[in-house]
Amino acid sequence: MTLFALMLIPLAGALVVAWSPARQAKWIALAWTGLALLAAVFAAGRFDWANPARFQFDAEAPFLPSVGISLSVGVDSVALLLVLLTALLGPLCVLGSFSAITERVKTYYGWLLVLQAAMTGVFVARDLILFYLAFEFTLVPMFILISLYGSDNRRYAAIKFFLFTFTGSILALAGLVYVASVAAAMNDGAWTFQIDALRRAAQTMSASEQGWVLAALLAGFAVKVPLFPVHTWLPLAHTEAPTAGSVILAGVLLKLGTYGIYRFVLPFVPVAVAEYAPLIAVVSIVGILYAGLICWVQTDVKKLVAYSSVSHLGFCVLGLVALNIVGGAGSVLYMINHGLSTGALFFCIGMMYERYHTRSMKEVGGLARRMPLWAFFMVFFTMASVGLPGLNGFVSEFMSLMGAFQSGAYGLGPGATIGPLGPWFAAVAASGMIVAAMYLLYMVGAVVFGPLKEPAGHHPHPTLPTDLNLRETLVLAPLAVLCVALGVYPTPVIRALEAPVGETIAAAVEVIDYARPVEGLADAASPAAPAPVSHTSPEGAGHE
Amino acid sequence: MSDPTTMLLAASAGAPDSSVAWLLQVPLLPLLACLLCGLFRAWGVTSKLPGYTTVLLLAVAFVVTLSGYLSFGGHGAQVVHGFDWLRVSWGDGPGETLSAGFSLYIDSLTWLWMLFVTGLATLIALYSTEYMAEDQKTGGYARYFSFFSLFVFMMSCLVMSDNLLLLYLGWEGVGLCSYLLIGYHYTKPSAVAAAKKAFIVNRVGDLGLALGLMLTFVHFGTLEYREIFARLAEIQAVVEAGGSAPWQVELIPLLLMVGAFGKSAQLPLYVWLPDAMEGPTPVSALIHAATMVTAGVYLVARFLPMFALSPAALGTVAWVGAGTALLAATIGMAQYDIKRVMAYSTVSQLGYMFLGLGVLTATGAAYHVFTHAFFKATLFLACGAVMHGFAGQLDLRRLSGLAKVPGWRVTAVAMLVGCLCLAGFVGTSGFFSKDMILAEAFVTPGPGYRLLGWIGLATAGLTAYYAFRVYFRVFHGPVEFHAGEEHHGDDGHDDHGHGFHPHAPGWAINLVLIALVIGSLAAAAPYFIDKEHHGWVGGLVHSSTAGEIVRASAGHGEAAAHAGEAAAAEHGGFFGDPHRWMFLASSVVGAIGILLAWVIHMTGRVSADRAPIADALKARLRPWSTLAEKKWLVDELYDALIRRPLRLLAHILALIDQALVDGLVDGVGFAPRLFGKSLRPSQNGLLQNYAVGMGGGLVFILLVVWALS
Repeated sequence: MTLFALMLIPLAGALVVAWSPARQAKWIALAWTGLALLAAVFAAGRFDWANPARFQFDAEAPFLPSVGISLSVGVDSVALLLVLLTALLGPLCVLGSFSAITERVKTYYGWLLVLQAAMTGVFVARDLILFYLAFEFTLVPMFILISLYGSDNRRYAAIKFFLFTFTGSILALAGLVYVASVAAAMNDGAWTFQIDALRRAAQTMSASEQGWVLAALLAGFAVKVPLFPVHTWLPLAHTEAPTAGSVILAGVLLKLGTYGIYRFVLPFVPVAVAEYAPLIAVVSIVGILYAGLICWVQTDVKKLVAYSSVSHLGFCVLGLVALNIVGGAGSVLYMINHGLSTGALFFCIGMMYERYHTRSMKEVGGLARRMPLWAFFMVFFTMASVGLPGLNGFVSEFMSLMGAFQSGAYGLGPGATIGPLGPWFAAVAASGMIVAAMYLLYMVGAVVFGPLKEPAGHHPHPTLPTDLNLRETLVLAPLAVLCVALGVYPTPVIRALEAPVGETIAAAVEVIDYARPVEGLADAASPAAPAPVSHTSPEGAGHE
Repeated sequence: MSDPTTMLLAASAGAPDSSVAWLLQVPLLPLLACLLCGLFRAWGVTSKLPGYTTVLLLAVAFVVTLSGYLSFGGHGAQVVHGFDWLRVSWGDGPGETLSAGFSLYIDSLTWLWMLFVTGLATLIALYSTEYMAEDQKTGGYARYFSFFSLFVFMMSCLVMSDNLLLLYLGWEGVGLCSYLLIGYHYTKPSAVAAAKKAFIVNRVGDLGLALGLMLTFVHFGTLEYREIFARLAEIQAVVEAGGSAPWQVELIPLLLMVGAFGKSAQLPLYVWLPDAMEGPTPVSALIHAATMVTAGVYLVARFLPMFALSPAALGTVAWVGAGTALLAATIGMAQYDIKRVMAYSTVSQLGYMFLGLGVLTATGAAYHVFTHAFFKATLFLACGAVMHGFAGQLDLRRLSGLAKVPGWRVTAVAMLVGCLCLAGFVGTSGFFSKDMILAEAFVTPGPGYRLLGWIGLATAGLTAYYAFRVYFRVFHGPVEFHAGEEHHGDDGHDDHGHGFHPHAPGWAINLVLIALVIGSLAAAAPYFIDKEHHGWVGGLVHSSTAGEIVRASAGHGEAAAHAGEAAAAEHGGFFGDPHRWMFLASSVVGAIGILLAWVIHMTGRVSADRAPIADALKARLRPWSTLAEKKWLVDELYDALIRRPLRLLAHILALIDQALVDGLVDGVGFAPRLFGKSLRPSQNGLLQNYAVGMGGGLVFILLVVWALS
């Protein structure tokens, strides 16, 4: 029941907020999100980390039993980590909104809590109905947060956000329902929506069926991630959303897409994944460089960070389709790390916006002079984002690239794994490291460093001090601590990811197993002639 | 683990653990200093506490290093296990675990680097306590020392790491500190731009290093030095038996080399280093002259066994080194900013080191790193003293005759000694180390290596000229000086010489200068210790991995020696023993350079900015003199060929993306407008509609499912 509690605590909090005075809304929200965080930490403490691939705390609640639908929950280490991320960002978002949200506070905190419940639901779901309900339901609170509390162009942004992701997820639903029908057909017409059962059924589909299901699922999840070229809703939504909205959007909502790929696409349609992985990788790499370059010419700080998410999540998807443990575990870590560092960057930008009411680099600059503490955090999280070793971003970025590099690098040596990609994919994607340095340092160089520049007619904020106050520091400090911790000692987390990632990619790896290199080629010390390098699986070669 | 070599390594690595664990203090003490200074910054400490804390902890780190060297220096490599930084495993076989520990691998090459890194860092930190004193009140003082200590920590990681990934951490870490310290005066746009440039250009190099690292892992199945070197020894044996090395082993050095060229400011990635002079001068001395920029040399020296197997990589390293040495020297000859002259001279000297590595004299390269660290730090700190005393003045046309100004004697002596070493004057430390490289270039068989020797020799002449150009202009001639732009005099004219009183260096600066002068001169002494290995440094290199490979590839070494002898015999009386005639040739070339500088810049000089011969020469040599002054327009070229096209592309992509946004919205057509219009009356209605619509849709789907069943 722990997991149901994780969903119900924020919902209960939302109800309490709705029936309490507006003045206390923020404190109540803080208390309930704090409670949810405690519950998540408690769950993590009880989790059997020795068996991280086993779904734990599983429970089932009957719901339309006549058609085989029940709401069942359970988490493996991947889901649990994402639940923890969600639970952590909850109280921080509340705390970070104290001074920014002054009107319609009850509605705001209420929906924020509902959103948290929905996001948690996505990660803990063990059956399709709960997953899809929660997945879709995240849209409503987010839509409301953007359209009521966003900046000037908020209505347009909200509608666009809704239409894009809703259209995508309808397609994903079509794919999932098709899988369910296959499962029902196999089961003599008895419907089941258990993810495990669906997976077993889905893997029996023919290659062409799998191809169609892959297309449908990817259509839904790629919009969420977002992958190039269906990313265009993201910059707008981010720019217009209130700070906490951006944090949740970047921190958790985008991960629904990558989590969907991890949970459904990889295990459900392994044949299609093995075939199209190079294509997906190419799309990701294009996104990394394309969005990175666009970041470099932005003048709106928030838009810059928004585009950087598109670029960053390209690495994340690249690691997933490398179909090996290094890439997969790196990708899951990427989901967490991106949530921490980019979430924190949005917090920083929000704190600047509250004081200066602008996000334009043309109007503000050199703020290190005014706000040294803020500047420290800004530079710190930028470095985490740029992938500086010793901080969290590096670990996941390196692992994603390494996974792509060794995946299918047959004949290069004993460190190669079976897989559809190869060194060239990693080499091109790694040039994104340079682009990331270019745009992130451009941002820091303009906003944090340089001569002090403040908007004309700038007045000090009525309640906030020039530099960060204790509350704001408390929002950023936990994130910074986690960035260091996950950067310096990620090994225990990685260990917990090896087994579940291995199971997820197992079916797809089996499909490409025929390409296993001939014995002896891996022996590097032998003075053998250079072995030909196959960078892609034969089917994928055309996509390179 | 079934592999006997691996088991052997594991067994031998495990044994000495507890007895050497205290060596972890070497990186950890600077880290402690960094954290303490960070706390001082947060508490708003305005005293010199951060500075003295740093000096003290770094001094302890130096003492620990020294006692470590005395205890273990002669005992081969020590491995100190810290913790598993990153570990992913996907099987039990070889190459199925990607792991990198926070662990140290300390052999004699490491000792060499760590001794001068911690030693010089201590001295330069002491110098900084005075140099940075103006920033005590703004909090910059504590920030400065925090970054300074962080740099020493990162440098220790880089040099002491036992695997490539931790080296990469140090590698990027020193880059971060370099970024933060170049941009220390963060309100200055030029400093911010220089910092950014340094980081980004280095990232280009880092890309090569990262790919080299990945290929190393995939090929060797490990990132740990001990295992890599064990495998390399096997490959070496195969090569000696007449086989050929796997192509990966020839490719990895080419990738690592790119990283080395970035960090050590070699062609084509050297452009960041001259701009890095925006940072405070002690930073230039420590990071951008003595230590960080030698990281590339360290990397190549560390992996010299692998480079030795890759003729393409060796040839490139040698050619790039010599080319950079020459190019940077020509630019250095024409600069007026004395710090920039020193910066180009650093680039040029680093070129010599790479030339040395390319001709496989790791001893020469490492020795030059060692001597250069001392004399270049001396030169920079002397420049810094001038800059500090004359309110930021660095233009050699606005400073003259400083040796005669009271209080500047120590600075003048330091500058003179530094310039003598840099010029390779007979008997100075720079003389021995440079000659070792040049002599080797002349005798090593390789694609045009003899030409490289000549280029190196010619560059030595240019070096002597530009070094003494600075010395004669600034410290000799008529006494005249103008304050720099940091002077806030009440006379309104910042170039009004008479109203300005320079403040001569205090005890900390002078003490450090004296120590460094002694160090620069004494750096010649190791040449005479351990004659068998061409000096103390040679002995250290010899007992490190770089030395082992020289022994292992004795066939090549002998061949090289024979070729050298043959060449010597061929030219008989004219050349003789390469080392001996090298001493002679470079003494002559150096003396000519110094003499030329004297003639050109001292003859008939009437004021700081007018030296008749120099001015006439400059006019005569147009447009070449102007081009050299403008740094051969390399920055402009990069800007036009790389930055601008990329920027244009980025703008176009941004436009396309915008168009795509609008286009798609138009494609969806009236929907958004319809939604917007119909729902405008009530926002609550809006969201309810969506919720109802969604719920309805879901119910519909469930009904369909139910009906189907």
